[in-house]
Amino acid sequence: MTREIQPSRSTELPPWSHLTPNKVNRWSFSKVFSNIVISALSIFFAVPMLWLALASVDKNATFQTKLPVLTAEHYIVSLESGNLAALRNSLVISLVASTIGTVAAFFAAYSFSRHHIVWKGPILLGILFLSGVPITILIVPMYEMFSSAGLLTMFPTAVLLGVTALPFQIYLIKNFIDAIPRDLEEAAYIERAKTWHVLWSVILPLTMPGLASAALFGFVNAWGSFLIPLVLISSDNQQAAPVRLFGFVNATSIDYGAIAAYSIIYSLPVVVLYLALSRQFKAGFVLGGAVR
Amino acid sequence: MSVTQNAPANTLGLPEKLRLEARLDKARFNPASLVLLAPATVLLLGLFLVPVVYAIYLGFTNLQLIGLHAVNYRFTGWANVNTLVHDATFYQSIWLTVLFVVGSGAVGATLLGLVMAIAMQDCLRLIRQIAGALAIVAWTLPPTTIAIVWKASSTESGIIPTLLGNPNYDLLYDQAMLIVCLANSWSLAGLAMIMFSAALRNVPEEILAAARLEGASRAQTLFKVTLPMLRSTIVTSALLMTLLTFGNFTLVYLMTAGGPGNQTNILPVYSYLQGFKFFNLGYSALLGNVIVLISAVLGGLFVLLGKQRR
Repeated sequence: MTREIQPSRSTELPPWSHLTPNKVNRWSFSKVFSNIVISALSIFFAVPMLWLALASVDKNATFQTKLPVLTAEHYIVSLESGNLAALRNSLVISLVASTIGTVAAFFAAYSFSRHHIVWKGPILLGILFLSGVPITILIVPMYEMFSSAGLLTMFPTAVLLGVTALPFQIYLIKNFIDAIPRDLEEAAYIERAKTWHVLWSVILPLTMPGLASAALFGFVNAWGSFLIPLVLISSDNQQAAPVRLFGFVNATSIDYGAIAAYSIIYSLPVVVLYLALSRQFKAGFVLGGAVR
Repeated sequence: MSVTQNAPANTLGLPEKLRLEARLDKARFNPASLVLLAPATVLLLGLFLVPVVYAIYLGFTNLQLIGLHAVNYRFTGWANVNTLVHDATFYQSIWLTVLFVVGSGAVGATLLGLVMAIAMQDCLRLIRQIAGALAIVAWTLPPTTIAIVWKASSTESGIIPTLLGNPNYDLLYDQAMLIVCLANSWSLAGLAMIMFSAALRNVPEEILAAARLEGASRAQTLFKVTLPMLRSTIVTSALLMTLLTFGNFTLVYLMTAGGPGNQTNILPVYSYLQGFKFFNLGYSALLGNVIVLISAVLGGLFVLLGKQRR
């Protein structure tokens, strides 16, 4: 049967040969529309940033957005000792906050993931809830507590900033540890490994992406925080960069160029960190950045 | 009876006490958990829960930032609550908070992110990448920088009034709430876009192909197939944006400080101003308690929805 039909097919054109195949429609209405919408939104996102870029290199910078008379003086001003010290303070605060939060969260997350804990469900819900509470509410009681204890300085503030990130970090790292198969640990335990040994040589290497996301979250959270350093750090030379930056805006003679340049220097580490690390971690990363 | 049941345990030579409890198939208390949980517990109790409870108490005192009641403050019962109920600024503040949180967070940022994610599917590669990068950079910028760039672009002689044709128009003064809302949506849309792009990739191609095969137009596919499949992401995004906006004190405080004339005086800003500008720390703490109550409701919703999805 098949042998009789096949030769005829190869020589004759099929009956539907007069129909042209459907062309892939390259420029439908919806495509044009989508491109216009996205272009318009790009402009919307770019416009406020445009001023920042131009004013930072403009000799006569104002709030106007115009072609700059090029100069680097604003960047030089931004890096003078006081401003640089504020950036260094921010770096120290953020590193301390991130480290404290990530380490405490790692231990707690392992315990929550693997151990039998009474009321585990409600406690975890409580922790998830804490991660959504606005930190504004901590300001008055923390100010009262820190000022009466004479602790209105950098390090207590850094610890507090670490704690504000802690609930979300616990949740994030726990999700990573949950995904690790238990066989590896059980093998280690059969070899009579101690808990800390399992944590260090089995769990830690496998949770690295989660820990990195959590650490990044802690760092960015502390780096961006304005209100807590503003209220809880009393001395000027311990003050963090965002408060210093705000001081520029409220100064009697506003130096627009310096504001723009310092904003860029202050923002760059965070943006670069995000963009550099987001490629590496992908899925878990989206979650990691979900709450700034 | 029980002795015969535990006979094997006996042969293992376990201590008397363990013999009855040693069931290896049941989850047991592990002493290591105490050590592992200690740091997080101490930190969260000492610097999160105790302050919140302390704030509840402070809300019912006449504590002041400076002056006589800075040290010698006392419990004043319902006095602060009485002030609160008769405080017109407080009611205005609640309304502005709802407007800000729902308008620019739950609706504004979510919608912006959704529109971007959907339109980007059909876009030229170059335009798509530029838009995506800009939205993500806007999202990663620290709040202080966001406040500064938006203040610079919307105030007199800024780029937005200039683009609108009247450089002398102080948009930030005249339409303060609108601008603050726009700035907030601007800064959050990148995150919503990432969430929706991920969700769109998970919409099975077969379903879309089936819809096309049945002759559905693009609009029909969008509204009858794609959007219903994104429903849970839309809800999650709306709630997440609500929470993020609710805590967004920095943006509003730095752009307008609650003004002009209380027009942008959202609850976190009002609480801060009462405490550190008008020195009424006690009343400020009470306003903070209202924030806790509202976020408890929001957090409860979030948890509830998270449970339903699993």
